[in-house]
Amino acid sequence: MKKKASAKVQSIKGATVGVFLCECGKRIDGKVDLARLRELLEDSPLVDHVEILPYSCERPGLSEIRERVAGKGLNRIVVAGCARRIMLKKFERELGDTGLEEGQIDMINLRDHIASVNDGAPEELALKASKVIQASAAGLKELTPSPKQKIQIDLPVMILGGGIATYSAAQELARAGIEVIMAVQTEDVEDEIRILHERYPGERSYHDRLMKIMTEIEESPLVKRISVGELDEVMGTVGNYTVTFSAEGNQPPRIYKAGTIIAALDGEMLNQGTDFGHDGKRVLCHTEMEEHIWLFGVPAHPVVFWVNDLEADQPDYAYLSARTAWNMATHIRDNNRNCDLKILYNEQINPPLNAQERARARRENIQWIPYDGNVRPTVQDGYITYDEPGSQIERELPWEQLVLSPRRHPGIEQLKVARILGLHVHGEEFLERNPQMVRPEQVGMEEKFLAGSARHPCDLRESLRQGQRAAHRTAEIMQQAKAGTLFAPRMVCSVDPEKCIGCGLCKEICDCGGVAPVEGKGGGIPRVVDPMTCTGGGTCAAACPYHALVLQNNTTTQREARVSVLARNLAENEVMGFGCRWGGAAAADNAGVRGIHYNARFHLLQVDCIGQLDATVMGRAFREGANGLLLLGCPPEECHHSYGLDHTWSRVLLVKKLLSLIGLERDRIALAHMDLNHPEQLARTVDRFVAMMDELGPVPKDREIQAKLNDLYETLRTPRVRWVLGASLRRPYETTYPTDQRNALAYDETLSDVLKEEFLRTRVFNFLKRESKVLHLNDIVGSIREEKQRVLNCLKDLSDEGMISRIYKDRVPYYTLQ
Amino acid sequence: MSKKSEKDNGKIHFTIDGQEVEAEEGWTVLDTARHYRIPIPTLCHHEAVKPSGACRLCVVEAKQGDWSKVVISCMYPPWEGVEIQTRSERVMNVRRWILEMLLAECPAAEEIRALAAEHGVLDTRFKVEDPEEQCLLCGLCVRVCEEVVGVRAISFGSRGVHKHIATPYMVPNQACIACGSCVTVCPTGAMEARLERVRGDIAERTGHGFAH
Repeated sequence: MKKKASAKVQSIKGATVGVFLCECGKRIDGKVDLARLRELLEDSPLVDHVEILPYSCERPGLSEIRERVAGKGLNRIVVAGCARRIMLKKFERELGDTGLEEGQIDMINLRDHIASVNDGAPEELALKASKVIQASAAGLKELTPSPKQKIQIDLPVMILGGGIATYSAAQELARAGIEVIMAVQTEDVEDEIRILHERYPGERSYHDRLMKIMTEIEESPLVKRISVGELDEVMGTVGNYTVTFSAEGNQPPRIYKAGTIIAALDGEMLNQGTDFGHDGKRVLCHTEMEEHIWLFGVPAHPVVFWVNDLEADQPDYAYLSARTAWNMATHIRDNNRNCDLKILYNEQINPPLNAQERARARRENIQWIPYDGNVRPTVQDGYITYDEPGSQIERELPWEQLVLSPRRHPGIEQLKVARILGLHVHGEEFLERNPQMVRPEQVGMEEKFLAGSARHPCDLRESLRQGQRAAHRTAEIMQQAKAGTLFAPRMVCSVDPEKCIGCGLCKEICDCGGVAPVEGKGGGIPRVVDPMTCTGGGTCAAACPYHALVLQNNTTTQREARVSVLARNLAENEVMGFGCRWGGAAAADNAGVRGIHYNARFHLLQVDCIGQLDATVMGRAFREGANGLLLLGCPPEECHHSYGLDHTWSRVLLVKKLLSLIGLERDRIALAHMDLNHPEQLARTVDRFVAMMDELGPVPKDREIQAKLNDLYETLRTPRVRWVLGASLRRPYETTYPTDQRNALAYDETLSDVLKEEFLRTRVFNFLKRESKVLHLNDIVGSIREEKQRVLNCLKDLSDEGMISRIYKDRVPYYTLQ
Repeated sequence: MSKKSEKDNGKIHFTIDGQEVEAEEGWTVLDTARHYRIPIPTLCHHEAVKPSGACRLCVVEAKQGDWSKVVISCMYPPWEGVEIQTRSERVMNVRRWILEMLLAECPAAEEIRALAAEHGVLDTRFKVEDPEEQCLLCGLCVRVCEEVVGVRAISFGSRGVHKHIATPYMVPNQACIACGSCVTVCPTGAMEARLERVRGDIAERTGHGFAH
């Protein structure tokens, strides 16, 4: 007869947890004693049902799970099988019809994190497994599933930025039956083409096609054209944007509502300046030459095109410039058979011509002349000197007009628009980047809303194609919305407007753009998260000083529950840690697949991003009995979410400072960097950390330390500490957000001081709370054992703030809780 | 009582290696075998993705009376009364041939060598093109990238004897989100060796520098 299980826990009303253990052929069964594991879990108050299945993930297993969920009313399940990264989607999909939503199914990797990598008797591994599974169950018990959020997009698409991709995007959307508002530079399409050479010189061959696109749009009833002033601001979230263009002359600011936005931004072409002898008349760049041709027709005098991108420090664009030079040269040749045309190019570039074009170059006498790149050509009066490759003899080319490559720049206006749209602008770099390496199906993927050469220099055809692609992806989303099948992902952040004070720290640290701009530019207005852009990293929620931001269906409360249960269950020589889905846990999965063994005393919990670990979760681990905590994240500045890993660095340091204030070793918490493709490294890291913890020995479990650990945890919750931490969450020498080492040091000293004050304050307050009697200063100092003056200051502050009472007896002050 | 198919419980009754088994509509022979803990070796099968039938290692013999056919268990739907044999002579012969060919295809793959040795295949008569190769072209990386991750960053290039795992233009693919799913499902060390060709330089792609 089975032992009667203890009363089951239901932290959230009605949360019932079922655990399914997988045999997985012989990959788990035989290495982990599943029968014993089942016994251990049946005794746990956190688990309502346990079952062993041969393969949970195959049709027979899924069939059993469905029956059990329905039959036993399970609304949370843990599948103790294999890699969550690979298999979770299948479970969510197959079990969707049972009512289990994303977040209600968790997976523990028995196979790759325990069975394949740990040495130990099957009963021992079963015991280890039970600890980790119970932790998972505890987290699920704290889950409050959020309601499913349907996204409505009834408003038109707004295309702004004035880039040429506007037209191809509008065409694609109109063809898909979607309403478009285009914000253009000029209402006249002829004008648009006339000035096209300022951004795309030498692209005459595409003008006809462009004209066709523009005509098609003009005739479409779905496309509305507006010509407006500068973009002022964009507010709102997907499905509900408010776009404001600033006032022009005596016109008021114009406001439009849009469902989604596409930014068509074209880069600028500047001249090379005096560095190459530019004078705008004889020494020109491509755009000026084009203008020249428009005004005065093709030249009759000798023209030399110098593809000088390598010398101008923009080697990536040499190909593009060479193509433009060729296009312009052939245009001139078509109109003047005798003009002397030469293209001078660094021999490191291959002339970007196909066979037919080479034949044409020979036939029509457009010479491509290479020079040795080690010697920079020099511009002289009427001649340009260069070093002939092979012979090393300095030769000369005669010129009457010298056309240089343009200096490419994203454009000041374009960068401004990009900033308003919440894109991350790094200095004056081009805008292309791929931060959204998490959820391909979300709107936040760059290719869905950004098109044009400000993204990265490209030719007209590529620009138009990008516009078309952005429109196509946008159309897909809008059609889903129309069909009522567009739902926001469930693990996204959300703001509690009651708690949010509008400080904007979340927006500052989040790189994914999920925290949307809100009305007004001051504080005091609660933030809003755009669920279609948020990638679910959670570092914002981990940083919020007032705990106003939560990562739905994956909250700090859930993580604290997991960490508590595991910490309490660990033996004295056992160690725990977190691994992120992209770094630590991925490396651990691969270590299992490769069969690389490491110390079984290490217990791993998985998170999506190490940055979603609030410092309180780390503190909680220690409060509940952890002796050591290892955080396995991605390499620096390689976080898939918004630099969560880099923020974790600061949070870990904060906890280290507090540990040392308690008198414990700073080494007990550590951050490590994992590459998923080097699982052998994970084994070395874990083994080393366990050895380090062995050297330190377990944390003393006396009452004093316990009280201090509780104070440590509470200190991490105080807004002031969280505020100061939030002021600088990064290493000073990073490339993305660099700062000065000296400033960083000064800041860190301030942080240490603030921490000491807040820690003492928490200790004093908690002491009075525990004692719940009236105490004299000396009694308090005697127990707390801190400098009298510091304790006195704390008491004064606390009583001034009304948190404690100061009572006088015979004119001597005594203190007690309010 | 008579255990013939008169049991109307909506299930399919058949046998595997003489043992009576029951399957629901939609289950394959492999699903059923695994449910009854009857081992059948596989290579290109992974629970996360749909079966592709590329490796043919999971072959079984489906028999009824004089009729028999060698089929792949990962896709074959069982029918009432069929007798499945997982280790018949024909089946073992097929598996040995496959493993011998694989030893030539991916000689450096330790996992294949071990599996082959279990079947008594120690060397190969076929020509070894690349002694360093570990990839057996099971296609799991391609399928997981398409079905689970959804970005389709890798695919097969060329066909026939020149088939290989490739990204467009053989350069790191911007569509790759560096999740490592391909490495995790790869049955050998082949993807681990190739990963840099697919994901490129992460630091450049996660926020600063150009995503090229």
